[in-house]
Amino acid sequence: MSDLITITIDGKEIPAQRGEMLTKAARRAGIEIPVFCGHPKLDPIGACRMCLVEQETPRGRALITACTTPVSEGMVIHYGSEKAVDARQGTLEMILINHPLDCPICDKGGECPLQDHTLAHGPGKSHFWEEKHHKAKNYPLSDLILLDQERCILCWRCIRYLGEWEDKPQLGLFHRGGETVIDKFPDGELDAYTSGSIIDLCPVGALTNRPARFSYRPWELRKTPSICTHCGQGCNLRIDSRDDIVRRHVARENVAVNDEWICDKGRFADDISVSPARLQQPLARIAGQLQPVSWAEALQRVVSGLKGVAERHGPAAIGAIGSAKASNEANYLLGKFMRGVIGSNNLDHREGAALLADPRGLPSLEAARHADLILLMGCDPSEEMPVLATLLKRAAIRQAAAVVIVHPRRIELARYPGHCFQPAPGEEPALFDALTRATLAGRGEPIPAWLAGAAEDAQITAAANALAAAQRPFILYGSDYAWGFGARAIVASLTNWVTAAGHGDRLGFLHAQANSQGAGDMGMLPDFLPGRRPLADAKARGDLEALWQTELPSQPGLTYGGMLASARGRIKALYLLGANPAGEKPADAAALKALDFLVVQELFLTETAQLADVVLPAASYVEGDGTFTNSERRVQRAPQAVKPVGNAAPDWLILTHLARAYAPERAAAWSTTSVAALFAEITQAAPLYAGMTWENLGAGGRQWPWQALSLQRSVQPYKPAALPADPAYPLRLVVGNQLWDDGVVLAASPALAQQGIKAARLHPTDAAALGLHSGDAITLRSRSGSVRTTVHVDDAIKPGTVFLPYSLAGAPAGALFDEYAPRSAVGVG
Amino acid sequence: MLSDSVRSEIQALMGQYPQPRSAILPALYAAQRQIGWLPNAALDEIAGLFGVEPMEVYAIAGFYNMFYKAPKGQFHLEICTNVPCMLRGAGDLVAHVQEKLGIKLGETTADGQFSIDHMECLGACATAPMLFARKRQSDWGRYYENLTPERLDALLEELRAFAAADLPAPPMERDPAGPYHHDHHPETNFLLARIDRPASHTLASYQAEGGYAAAAKALSMPPQAVIDTVKQAGVRGRGGAGFPAGVKWGFLPKDVFPRYLVVNCDESEPGTFKDRLIVEYDPHQLLEGILCAAWAIQAHHAFIYVRGEYLFAQQRLQAAIAEAKAAGYLGQGIFGSDFDLEVIVHSGAGAYICGEETALLSSLEGGRGHPRLKPPFPAVAGLYGRPTIVNNVETISHVRHVLEHGADWYRQWGTDRSPGFQLICLSGQVQKPGVYEIPYGLTLRQLIYDLAGGTLDGRPIKSIIPGGLSMPHLLPDKLDTGIDFESIQAAGSMLGSGGVIVICEGESVLDVALRTVGFYREESCGKCTPCREGQGWLEKSLQRIRKGEGVVGDLDNLARFAKYIDQQSFCPFGPASVWGLQSLLRQFRPEFEAHIALSNPDGEKPEIPARPIYRAYTGKPLKNVLD
Repeated sequence: MSDLITITIDGKEIPAQRGEMLTKAARRAGIEIPVFCGHPKLDPIGACRMCLVEQETPRGRALITACTTPVSEGMVIHYGSEKAVDARQGTLEMILINHPLDCPICDKGGECPLQDHTLAHGPGKSHFWEEKHHKAKNYPLSDLILLDQERCILCWRCIRYLGEWEDKPQLGLFHRGGETVIDKFPDGELDAYTSGSIIDLCPVGALTNRPARFSYRPWELRKTPSICTHCGQGCNLRIDSRDDIVRRHVARENVAVNDEWICDKGRFADDISVSPARLQQPLARIAGQLQPVSWAEALQRVVSGLKGVAERHGPAAIGAIGSAKASNEANYLLGKFMRGVIGSNNLDHREGAALLADPRGLPSLEAARHADLILLMGCDPSEEMPVLATLLKRAAIRQAAAVVIVHPRRIELARYPGHCFQPAPGEEPALFDALTRATLAGRGEPIPAWLAGAAEDAQITAAANALAAAQRPFILYGSDYAWGFGARAIVASLTNWVTAAGHGDRLGFLHAQANSQGAGDMGMLPDFLPGRRPLADAKARGDLEALWQTELPSQPGLTYGGMLASARGRIKALYLLGANPAGEKPADAAALKALDFLVVQELFLTETAQLADVVLPAASYVEGDGTFTNSERRVQRAPQAVKPVGNAAPDWLILTHLARAYAPERAAAWSTTSVAALFAEITQAAPLYAGMTWENLGAGGRQWPWQALSLQRSVQPYKPAALPADPAYPLRLVVGNQLWDDGVVLAASPALAQQGIKAARLHPTDAAALGLHSGDAITLRSRSGSVRTTVHVDDAIKPGTVFLPYSLAGAPAGALFDEYAPRSAVGVG
Repeated sequence: MLSDSVRSEIQALMGQYPQPRSAILPALYAAQRQIGWLPNAALDEIAGLFGVEPMEVYAIAGFYNMFYKAPKGQFHLEICTNVPCMLRGAGDLVAHVQEKLGIKLGETTADGQFSIDHMECLGACATAPMLFARKRQSDWGRYYENLTPERLDALLEELRAFAAADLPAPPMERDPAGPYHHDHHPETNFLLARIDRPASHTLASYQAEGGYAAAAKALSMPPQAVIDTVKQAGVRGRGGAGFPAGVKWGFLPKDVFPRYLVVNCDESEPGTFKDRLIVEYDPHQLLEGILCAAWAIQAHHAFIYVRGEYLFAQQRLQAAIAEAKAAGYLGQGIFGSDFDLEVIVHSGAGAYICGEETALLSSLEGGRGHPRLKPPFPAVAGLYGRPTIVNNVETISHVRHVLEHGADWYRQWGTDRSPGFQLICLSGQVQKPGVYEIPYGLTLRQLIYDLAGGTLDGRPIKSIIPGGLSMPHLLPDKLDTGIDFESIQAAGSMLGSGGVIVICEGESVLDVALRTVGFYREESCGKCTPCREGQGWLEKSLQRIRKGEGVVGDLDNLARFAKYIDQQSFCPFGPASVWGLQSLLRQFRPEFEAHIALSNPDGEKPEIPARPIYRAYTGKPLKNVLD
């Protein structure tokens, strides 16, 4: 049976796909059937009755709802018939009976489907004298979203979104009949991480963006299609600005990446460009104090500072730290400057060489939708990639994908059927070995001697069999298992399991930062050049030398940790772009102070910037053009939406001017004057990006292929790493990302200050033994230091561990790191 | 805040259903029995037990009338004021009880003894006027029927004494005990044949008259043969739509199991009270029918969804199921076969819309009673998404007799397209309101004048509603219409659920229209625009007209919006809610016009209410407060 059929609307034959909704087929033919409750991303309910059309049936014409009616061959529809037009007019009139018509003060006015449909389909005359219903107005569903029950037309889109995508039905109908209202549970508030999607979905002004409301009329907004840079998903969004101030973010559809959703951090953390804390002027240390200077003076100071170190100690005494939050262009030019102008390979970023990430990130975000099994190891998509989490939830519910989790915390996605393993820090390799052993046994393959002693139990066998039987598993590991002491053993053992199950080529890595993938792609690594080409590869160096018209050092440089550790030794100068080691690990502040010369290129005067000799104010990603590469290697544009604040300048422009000032003789290699041209240069430097242009990245970005780098995987023995018990510090630290932290982005967004629980977490049994209750102040200490924070008692925590999220104000996890780094031994008190 | 015993009761309830969520309504009842009402903390706790968002439980509690969102008095008295009761003096009763207790509807006496509310049809139209009394923190509740001011005074005293002296609860059975008035055509006395026997509800009584023989016979037949018999007999659905039961059963997809049988005992259509009679006084008849039907469709779970107010009926059903189970008629290995059947009585909680089959399923699954999109029809994807047959109590009871006597026997009565006989509920202004078992084809005149003794005081008939409140009115010129699906339809109305309401000259059509619209406005589930927004508007317009602020143009607007509600609502509730009004506007337009002309002779336009002043919220973010 062909899927292409023909239907007739108002006497015109139009092609349609069998089974698609009539509204969709009509839209393709240029007939926009009005809808309110209907939405392409939500299940049809047919509640609003706006999309009525007449259908020819054997018993005459019948009114049907186009949004709930799948097309079938030969279907004859009357959209413009007198009865259909009258019916739609009637529905619209009834919708307006109790609608307040307060359009002049409504945020939705000007982009409101109810206004538009009233113009197109309304009666043009009111027949009503009766008083309208009065319901709650300005009713907070959370700190971020307000509900106006009078404007609400009860289309259920918000209810359905939270149910169908978030699986958190926190909005529902209350009462019934004419008194029906949308409401939340009175003693709670919306806490789904993508709750703001309901604002975009609302077809009237009933749900409004609380921080943004009343700050624009929609027609005044300049709308810039862009992306979000809060995590490695790279959700597509639109930046709406007025008077060069960002007024709001709204989601932009990209089915391959984020469908049509963005998370609440991406939506509401948009104050970064107007934060009063932003750096607006270059600063230089004069007489021991950071003081405003001109750009010319600042660059001159950087040039002479770096030149002085190079002359005294050689280029290898200079290092640079890039950023997984900065654009490809920024990281590329920082690398080009260091390697090509200074002559040093001391180049890395925090999530760089030390992170045992797959160089290709993850195979495909869209694959999450089609998964028949979801395997998550050491990552928590709900906190690290909330929109991915909604796609995974949907796969778990709608496709009955089993969810297998290995994580020290019982993460949110563990609520779906499957298997949840909670190995304590240090126990992971043994668990993965057992899973590998069970997998091999299940496949009837020989068990290598080094696996013979692995544990056996029913749940392990069941999980191993589930993965081995899966056809389309979506498999991720994350940074919680990928760095620090013991990570090699964890990653080796989990890779063994996935490989043994026959899914080695589906194992992906979840990057928590927006441009982790891109920073690596750009060669922001001590031993890799742009395009992930090894530094040791002479041809790669040669290609780059030709492009950059310079000679490149071939000796691998120091890593992020190596540079900071050498700051009291052979490293004399550092150039930090968007990196804040002093804020993350207080011990590193002391090291930075020992440097001869420190340059910090930043948005804010961070703990690290306060130590700098020169501070260069950078434009934020919304203030300059740039590209970012997400976790699935998708290169996407983030065009300039507003002017930079004060005298801040885009990273690429700062670096270009710096290089030309440092080495005027090489100015020809530093002659690009736009990001489009610079991106063209990048595609030459990084063959993985060949064929891409600023223009052809288009609205949805372009991916470089997973197969472009192939990794051969097999089940291999590995070197174990033991975590010895320390009676003085009886708990093990577990660190991880939390959506609502106190990082720079959220610190700059007052609207988000109250979101989330910002505390260390303990299991109830540990808390009881220590006599602690949620909200109590505690001190966590380790051999390296201590932090003070509050405690939150949570039974999702593994007993014997304490979970401390990264980026809590005043409680940097790095302060506790001993030689076991993220798996340090800690005590309370 | 829930007691340990209630918590464990809820856990046990969850285990009774194929999916635990179905136990949310029973759980809410259990919590309300302990606390007296449903505070948010209790809803939160119940949500925790079910592992759902608190919002879900909150939304469910907010849908159903019988769940209290605020404390009520020791006794909650709900006085029926719907049309059949209105026609028999409910208005006087309300006035009397308000005066007697010194409170208005919706209020509670200062001593906390009584709360009073109006209620719209409790399925006791033949014994109107009446009220439903419930005692706080108990399962006790009962109907008080055929009320007069004197009887009302007496029952208030009885309840006061009951509360004060810690007396045993008055019986929940009606007083005097026994079925309410019923009669039958000389030839057709089957469904109600046993209900006057002593202890007619017991298994012993049922067995003494050959009970469960029909089921034994059915189970000896191949299931398809049972379906074929019912199809040949042409048993039509008695719930309102009249769809042939056997045909419906034939829609089940082949070889898809499990399947479910759901018996609709949410008898809520004003003017309808026949199912209650069967369930209260001959429950085994229904159970035997269920056994036959479940065998026919090979279902191992049958649910009887009983409206929440039918407490006594629920009690009788539970007892009958226990008896039948003990005797091996239900449960495992019935009649020594390998056929198993569990029957679960599920109480509704006060929502008319749950009589609509898909809304009933939403409710039975533990949700708000919203109707669902069709297709898929329940036979394909019903309860829990499985193939499900939903049939009315009376329909299933007919099945039992068809299986006993055969299709040809059944077809000796009635017409070709409406074979057999039916229970007709006669209410309103007639001498002997009650349930009448008649063959299809008997005329309205024969029913009203021959069987029921004519109208009250011999008043001339003004209009007749032939099939429950939602059906179009017929004028007395249609009195010779035969009572069967086709004839009533030809006369301009529908047989519906068989609730015949007789309205005599002297009653105001405006009052009848307002009562009708008011009922549907209150019971609209709120899902679709026309029904949700339109009903309220119709009611407000009618109220304005009655106040003397109507203008002639209002009538056209009423008709126009009734048309929209009729033609474009989501479910059959919409059209059913306005057919009555539409027919009144059509048939009695001069009376409406006369009212407008007399009460607003100058045709003054009504005042348009001023808009409230809205102020923008300008302060800092707030936590959960209405600013």
